[in-house]
Amino acid sequence: MERIPILKLGKCLIVSIQVDMDDGTAITLQDDLTEKIVRHRAKGVLIDISALDVVDSFIGRMLANTAAMAHVLDAETVVVGMQPSVAITLVELGLSLKGIRSALNIEKGMELLRGIDDVPELANADEQH
Amino acid sequence: MTVLPIAAVALSYDFDLVAARRRARAVAALLGFDQQHQTRIATVVSELARNALRYAGSGRLELSVELDDKQSLVIEVSDRGPGIANVDEILAGRYRSKSGMGMGLLGAQRLMDEFSLTSRAGEGTTVIVRKRLPSNARRFDEVAVTRLIAELARQRPVDQVDEMQRQNAELLAALADLHERQVELERLNQELEDTNRGVLALYAELDEKAESVRRADELKTRFLADMSHEFRTPVNSILALSRLVEETPLTDEARKQILLIRRSADGLAGLVNDLLDLAKIEAGKVEVRPAELDIANLFSALRGMLRPLLVNRSLALMFDEPEGLPLMFTDEGKLSQILRNFISNALKFTETGEIRVTAELNQRGNAVIFSVADTGIGISVEDQERIFDEFTQVDTPLQGRSKGSGLGLPLTRRLATLLGGFVMVESEPGAGATFRAEVPIVFGDAATMRPMSDGTPASAPAPKIRILIVDDDETARYAMRSFASRPGAEIMDAENGTEGIAKALSEQPNVILLDMMMPGIGGHEVLQRLKSQPETSAIPIILVTSRFINDEEREQVLSRATGVIYKGDLSREVVSRAIDDAIAAT
Repeated sequence: MERIPILKLGKCLIVSIQVDMDDGTAITLQDDLTEKIVRHRAKGVLIDISALDVVDSFIGRMLANTAAMAHVLDAETVVVGMQPSVAITLVELGLSLKGIRSALNIEKGMELLRGIDDVPELANADEQH
Repeated sequence: MTVLPIAAVALSYDFDLVAARRRARAVAALLGFDQQHQTRIATVVSELARNALRYAGSGRLELSVELDDKQSLVIEVSDRGPGIANVDEILAGRYRSKSGMGMGLLGAQRLMDEFSLTSRAGEGTTVIVRKRLPSNARRFDEVAVTRLIAELARQRPVDQVDEMQRQNAELLAALADLHERQVELERLNQELEDTNRGVLALYAELDEKAESVRRADELKTRFLADMSHEFRTPVNSILALSRLVEETPLTDEARKQILLIRRSADGLAGLVNDLLDLAKIEAGKVEVRPAELDIANLFSALRGMLRPLLVNRSLALMFDEPEGLPLMFTDEGKLSQILRNFISNALKFTETGEIRVTAELNQRGNAVIFSVADTGIGISVEDQERIFDEFTQVDTPLQGRSKGSGLGLPLTRRLATLLGGFVMVESEPGAGATFRAEVPIVFGDAATMRPMSDGTPASAPAPKIRILIVDDDETARYAMRSFASRPGAEIMDAENGTEGIAKALSEQPNVILLDMMMPGIGGHEVLQRLKSQPETSAIPIILVTSRFINDEEREQVLSRATGVIYKGDLSREVVSRAIDDAIAAT
């Protein structure tokens, strides 16, 4: 089973999905994320899906659920880097990713998260899996 | 409308979903769809494949291209699952899935140009969707599609994970296969065990059958022995009586009739003897009495014995003079019986020509081969095996002329075996037959050679003797009385054991002729009682029996009795010699 790495950056968790996930991988990612939000008391979650060229209903639901759970755990979620074709397809499919904030890229996403809360400087960043 | 298949993906595991998605995207790209459409197609395939995996456990994705006026990509996902119960509800958007967002089928319908869904409860679901190729796409024909497929194969990334997953799948399949084989093996094993049990049961049954066959064979032998014994008693009586009558003055006519009676009785006795011989050999109760034997003498004896049987002038019986043959040490009676049977058999089945009897050494020089060759009707190959079986007679035109018991040839075989040799036959129908008997020159071990008793009877003057005959059979008593009568002899008789013992006590005879088989007190018991009483223990007793007794019995009997006479041998000479011997022994 593949695992998507989760990086901790200050009070933020950063996930960059670089592989074409199957459903099992998606579920694992969701579980890992919620677990790390609690462990690191994260305030923000940034999910980069710029490498995904397909987001179907299951992955869409996974993203929405993750955002909802993070919200309950007092963290905001930003999805960044969605490809235009994916966005169009999602709308056509009839999926509206309610509760998910989105940004064009990681930079804009981080800015968004900083605005939400007092996100510390990048200086004390470390990496965790 | 031509539909050409492009690619297919089996959907068995979660990761197949990713593969299906990628393949669909690649095919869409090669067909000329733009980025946006590629994403749409990949998404739809992802939705449909997920449904197949989730609800049916497995399925199959097929991508093909339809070549009519409007070229289309055809996506077909089929499964053999339980089918979808609430199709209408789903397609109307009223259904909310727990896993997706209830948008899979509906979304697919929206994203594609055509959508059709077939679902039957218990038989599976097939979803076919079509997406028209972009208007600026090139025209595809079979060649183009073939090229497209080749291109697709080239693009396929050699992904290590993919490879591992593939191998994994193969391993899983192999494991399932192995399990299946093991189950099959267990089943086979079970079946074999069952079969084995069956075979064992069959073996037991066969053993039982063999045992009962053996018992039946034993019974047959005993029956043969008993019956032929029963036949012998009256036949012996007829023979003895006719010999007696012959001794009296008779008219020529009566003498001729008596002679005929005696001949018939002789023939009957011969048959019965054959039967008894066979029974005796079968019961292992026959003994071989080997003696020195000159083959030339044997031949001349046979010649004398068999010449009278040659009634036909056109048939010759030739004995080749044996040359360079050693003296044999074997049972002459049995050897002669073998040859007699061969020759009389040849006589029966040969009308003209010759019967030639020869003797020669075998190759190893330790046995003599006797051959009897005839120019008769011959024996077919299939019958050659049978003729040595008991009671077998081959149907031939000549068979009717002289009936036999069918015992002659079986007897020769058994006799030859007894002498340590064997018999065989060579023949072709119409070309005569050659019967051969190979008999060892020396029977058994030469050390067993017994001195032959010279048959000179004791020439004693006729003293006055008193003879007691004990026999329940009146005819036998009469015959014995006649044969035992001699000058100076006083003959008494008793018709049973009790009377015999009483007379032995009161009359004190010089010799007693005692029948073995009597109702009430039998010969054995009479013998024992007489020998245990001091008044009678010294009287010599000659046992008379029509039953064959073996060596062991004979020794046992001779420890008490002075001699044994077979009823079949009854004649004046035999009886008087036995009496002489008995008196001489006292």
